Amino acid sequence: MIKNFLNFEWKQFARSSYFQKGIAIKILLALAVLYFGGIALLVGAGLFFILKKAIPETDPLILVNNFLIFWFIFDLALRFFMQQLPVMNVKPLMIVPVKRTTIINYLLGKTALSFFNFLPLFVFVPFSIVLLVQGYPVLNVVCWFFAMLFLVLSNNFINFLINKSNTYFYVLISVLAIFIGLEFLNIYKVSAPIGVAFNTLYNNPILSIIPLVLMVVLYAVNFNFIKKEFYLDDAVSKKVKEVNAIDLSWMNRFGSVAVFLKNDVKLIYRNARPRQVMMMSFLFLFYGLIFYTQETYKNMPAFLAFASIFVTGGFLLTFGQLVPSWDSEYYKMLMSQNIPYKKYLESKWYLMVVAVAVSFVLSTPYIYFGWKIYGMIAAGALFNIGLNSFITLFGGALNRVPIELNVKAKAFSNTNGFNPTQMLIALPKMVLPMLLFYVPYKFISFEAGLITLGLSGVLGIVFKGFFLNKIEQLYQKGKYKTLAAYNEK
Amino acid sequence: MIQVTELSKKYSGVSVLNITSLEIPKGQAFGLVGNNGAGKTTFFNLLLDLIKPTTGTIINNEIQVNTSELWKPFTAAFIDESFLIGYLTAEEYFYFIGELRGMNKTDIDAFLVQFEEIFNDEIIGKKKYLRDLSKGNQKKAGIVAALIGNPEVIILDEPFANLDPTTQIRLKKLLKDLTIESNATVLISSHDLGHVTEVCERIVVLDKGNLVKDINTSEETLKELETYFSV
Repeated sequence: MIKNFLNFEWKQFARSSYFQKGIAIKILLALAVLYFGGIALLVGAGLFFILKKAIPETDPLILVNNFLIFWFIFDLALRFFMQQLPVMNVKPLMIVPVKRTTIINYLLGKTALSFFNFLPLFVFVPFSIVLLVQGYPVLNVVCWFFAMLFLVLSNNFINFLINKSNTYFYVLISVLAIFIGLEFLNIYKVSAPIGVAFNTLYNNPILSIIPLVLMVVLYAVNFNFIKKEFYLDDAVSKKVKEVNAIDLSWMNRFGSVAVFLKNDVKLIYRNARPRQVMMMSFLFLFYGLIFYTQETYKNMPAFLAFASIFVTGGFLLTFGQLVPSWDSEYYKMLMSQNIPYKKYLESKWYLMVVAVAVSFVLSTPYIYFGWKIYGMIAAGALFNIGLNSFITLFGGALNRVPIELNVKAKAFSNTNGFNPTQMLIALPKMVLPMLLFYVPYKFISFEAGLITLGLSGVLGIVFKGFFLNKIEQLYQKGKYKTLAAYNEK
Repeated sequence: MIQVTELSKKYSGVSVLNITSLEIPKGQAFGLVGNNGAGKTTFFNLLLDLIKPTTGTIINNEIQVNTSELWKPFTAAFIDESFLIGYLTAEEYFYFIGELRGMNKTDIDAFLVQFEEIFNDEIIGKKKYLRDLSKGNQKKAGIVAALIGNPEVIILDEPFANLDPTTQIRLKKLLKDLTIESNATVLISSHDLGHVTEVCERIVVLDKGNLVKDINTSEETLKELETYFSV
């Protein structure tokens, strides 16, 4: 039976829509996997030496052990937002004569094969090999490695539980909140005893049995949980959520755009995929930290301008590039309803503008890096509002990939919107602000660069009507193609 | 109200619809029947300008549908669930459509009262998103939404499918009343010959994209259709 299941699995993989895309995308995808895998490998292999060089007085392994808890928490958070749990595919198996326990074991086993369980391996395997080469005791390292493996899988099963059961979810969130509170308010460093525990585990290989037991227990909890609720209306079903209605009538002040704006707000907070994009775009706020903190970029203001676009443009770039795909599920209705297209686009524009404004406010702490940096972020925000928003909407017209709203994007299956036109459209988004800043900066002064970048945005706002009309025409022209593409699914 | 001339739709050389001429007068209850692949949905999609005709034109109230959008204010349709916005509740969806058609919350609430029977307490005030409703209830919501704002042309694809018997009977009555009271032109497709002959004054049969029968409904129509399809 398991053989059959695996066969289905293979077919599902080989016949899935993202795999049947053009050869170019397949190659790019393979390259991406190799790239990220390679980076993970390098990190795994290089970690030991990097740590040794940075902090020579402490054993790198002890440093890693002290840090592990944060890794696992981050891993869990990432899983919670990204990992797709196998649910729907089980339905056709429910009434065929197969033992329930087989199906549940299979279902849980399948989650163990997730990409998220392999990524840590890319780090832990080379790291362990380096440890061995460096002459660490074999038994200790091997047992430590397996302990890590068990913990990764435990995380996997914890994720399954918190996704399926609110009780577990809230328990975990409370524990984490207490942990983070104690840790970062410097009341009690919870991470310290955990680090000690990991080190003890390394020094006493026999203790690796504890993570193993933990994993087995979690597996059993999952098993019983699913078994108890192995009915269409329980664990196997999609969760039917109670409506959370927020009164949005205050938005009516936005006039004729309000109809769409209210819908878009609901779109974002009621669907898994847009919520995910929201979270991702929040991370963009920290993009500046990479650039502003490094000496290398201090003298390359063009790159700083580039980074500044990202600080405030996270939502604009990630959400905006998928307009109108967000409405793909009911695009037919929109196209046959009494809808002024321009208003529809304008609503999306307002959404992006608000997002840029909010990001800008949230980016205030960047003042720490000096007013020049902050001025850049401000100019970047203006550019985002005035020009980038329109470029993004323009690019959306060429993007015809349907989106399933209430399904999380799968890691590495999200090649949606990844095509040559999309790449071309992405270019001006990145290069234009750099040019707008760099040319006046080079020939006049830093301030001139800032002003040009900011002014370009203001100009964009002034010509908003013109841009929207142009984009509307483009959307209208592509209407049939877009409709046909959304119909395919 | 609606004039169709030389309309055809081909997909990579294969003809799926070919109507030389068809005229639907204002206020008519028009029924479209045919087996799977006969071109019913294709015809409706062309009427709504959701696909591009290979040749020919459709004129809806003096407006050519694929060149102007002015037919939208007086035309409403429910083709399938993709006409619903899954993450809204039924009320929110009705209010949304209402706003597009110039009706405010109070208007919509007043409008919805007449459908209480059809909704059977399963749609309004249920705190459920449309995507979580059953197929039948989704259909009810979609059909009612298509009636918002007194449209002059109403297009319903398979309105009786997935509905429970009680609702089918209520819907039949509703559609009949609609053509009599509001003088709206109603276009319906259906696989249920009984329902469609009961509701529609005129029935057109499509076969592989061609118009093969055009009947004004009478006592014998159901028999005639049954004989035709039993071959």
